[in-house]
Amino acid sequence: MKKDGKKETPILIQMGIFMAILFVAQLLSQLFPPSFAVPTPLIGMIILYILLATHIIKLEQVEKLGDSLIGLIAFLFVPSGIQLAGSLDLIKREGLQDVIVTIISTIILLVVITYVGSFFIKLHQKINNRKGDD
Amino acid sequence: MTAALATPFTGIFISLLVYLLGMWLFKISKGFFLFTPLLVGVVLGIFILALWAKGIGSTTVEVYKKFFLPGGNIVFWFLNPATIAFAIPLYRRNDIFKKYWIDVVLTLFVGGFISLFGIHMVSKLFGLSKVSIAAMLPQAATTAVAMPIAKSIGGDPAVTAMVCIINAVIIYALAEFLIKFFKLKEISKVGLGLGLGTSGHTVGSAKAVQLGSIQGAMASVSVVIVALAMDILVPIYARLFL
Repeated sequence: MKKDGKKETPILIQMGIFMAILFVAQLLSQLFPPSFAVPTPLIGMIILYILLATHIIKLEQVEKLGDSLIGLIAFLFVPSGIQLAGSLDLIKREGLQDVIVTIISTIILLVVITYVGSFFIKLHQKINNRKGDD
Repeated sequence: MTAALATPFTGIFISLLVYLLGMWLFKISKGFFLFTPLLVGVVLGIFILALWAKGIGSTTVEVYKKFFLPGGNIVFWFLNPATIAFAIPLYRRNDIFKKYWIDVVLTLFVGGFISLFGIHMVSKLFGLSKVSIAAMLPQAATTAVAMPIAKSIGGDPAVTAMVCIINAVIIYALAEFLIKFFKLKEISKVGLGLGLGTSGHTVGSAKAVQLGSIQGAMASVSVVIVALAMDILVPIYARLFL
């Protein structure tokens, strides 16, 4: 992504930053009770966002590794999908309804959230227009 | 000879092989939606394990645990740093997040609650057991968050894990089709980003990143916020309606 003059941080340092964040995040994750789980990667994402927003870490110090990882995510998910092989008994026991309901639920989430989101954005814009600012 | 295959190399090799085959099929089918690399990879991977089990007279689950899991876990581990990386697309469009963060939070809580209702009704329609319904409810959150929530309201966390995986696979395979069918592209970039992140988790976010920087940023942040929303909403919903 970086082809201009900016120097790119060596990949080992980028890895170091990611691992340091994960290390701290796992400690913080343990502070939450099991009934209100906030897993390590989510805390790590919040930490990295804060570090970027406060300019403690610069974009070029993490973006090459980060963009590569995001580009790989479908592949990284393959073992999770194959994990369903371990659920074959579960599907046999529960029947295919669970799978069908899941597919419909996925579509419900996508459509409902998208429409509710656009509703709030439009409402927001209308209120702003009335106030005459923004 | 089988013992020699019970190393991490086997699982890593199978993961790469089936995904690369998926990429190849996707290419030669000119992007046929059922041939997305992830979906092909998963189906093919399970098929290989099932054949393998048949060959050595074992069960698929057994083969999966013994031969695939050691390598699968290593590939799976990289989802940790990959999830962190979504702070980057979010930060790139920090302007949008700063402008709309209230809308984002409201959307995920209100939309999340409406979706819970929808998921509950569909589950009832298909006659799912109470244990399965409870496992369906927290699916908007990522697996690691959804499983303990399901457990706390009396659901089977194993079903929840399966549900969250199917979410991602479905969104990765069908996102383009669903976006076209429900005309989601036209209505709002912010909304669509939130929708993709909520329904498809990090895989949905990766899809959103491909669609555009605003969608990518919103999907990234939705993964975190909807997890918190489900942490709060699902126990309340379960107490009221289950």
